[in-house]
Amino acid sequence: MAWLAVLVAGVFEVIGVMNIKRLAMKKWDALVILIVTFGSSLALLSYAMQTLPMGTVYGVWTGIGTAGSTIMGMMLYGEPRDWKRLLFISMILASAVGLRLIT
Amino acid sequence: MNKYWFYVILAALFEIYWVAGLKHSESILEWGITIVAITATFFLLPVAAKYLPIGTVYAVFAGLGTAGTVIVEIVVYGEPFQFMKVFLISTLLIGVIGLKMVSNEPAKSERKEVT
Repeated sequence: MAWLAVLVAGVFEVIGVMNIKRLAMKKWDALVILIVTFGSSLALLSYAMQTLPMGTVYGVWTGIGTAGSTIMGMMLYGEPRDWKRLLFISMILASAVGLRLIT
Repeated sequence: MNKYWFYVILAALFEIYWVAGLKHSESILEWGITIVAITATFFLLPVAAKYLPIGTVYAVFAGLGTAGTVIVEIVVYGEPFQFMKVFLISTLLIGVIGLKMVSNEPAKSERKEVT
């Protein structure tokens, strides 16, 4: 159940990030969705951390959020797909997940 | 540096502050500053996302936030210093700098809202 909570928290995080984009496009309902999704996401994280190690939970959550936002940005908003961009995002992703796992 | 990149970096700095604030705030003043920092983060990110890809914005924001939090925990809160942390922070920063270099932002005059 704790792992399911982490996965759902990751999905809420990605929806939240997409609403940062919608907010940038002046869609004001995005502000409400943003608060609800990030709020739910953090609540699920703290629930998962009751049974799973904090670093692992944060690592997986950060990973889902970054990878998910990049992929959804490409799918919904046609953001660049060139390999150099994806390589550097992957470097940030791998480093951030690594840092979460060892701390 | 393009000001939208500056906003993302600023948002990450606020995040580093409030992550520590959530963990260590004790007085009402400290909690107040933490809440202001959270609000500032979520004000800056949509402004940056107006002209930068959201995938880029979030990767840089989450990455710098993580690296900064690890540094603050070592310097301020006495967490152990490990070579692996320094190595991963270095690769993370190379990723951010590389991403900045391959992002071709349109010049100010021809900039238009990305939809």
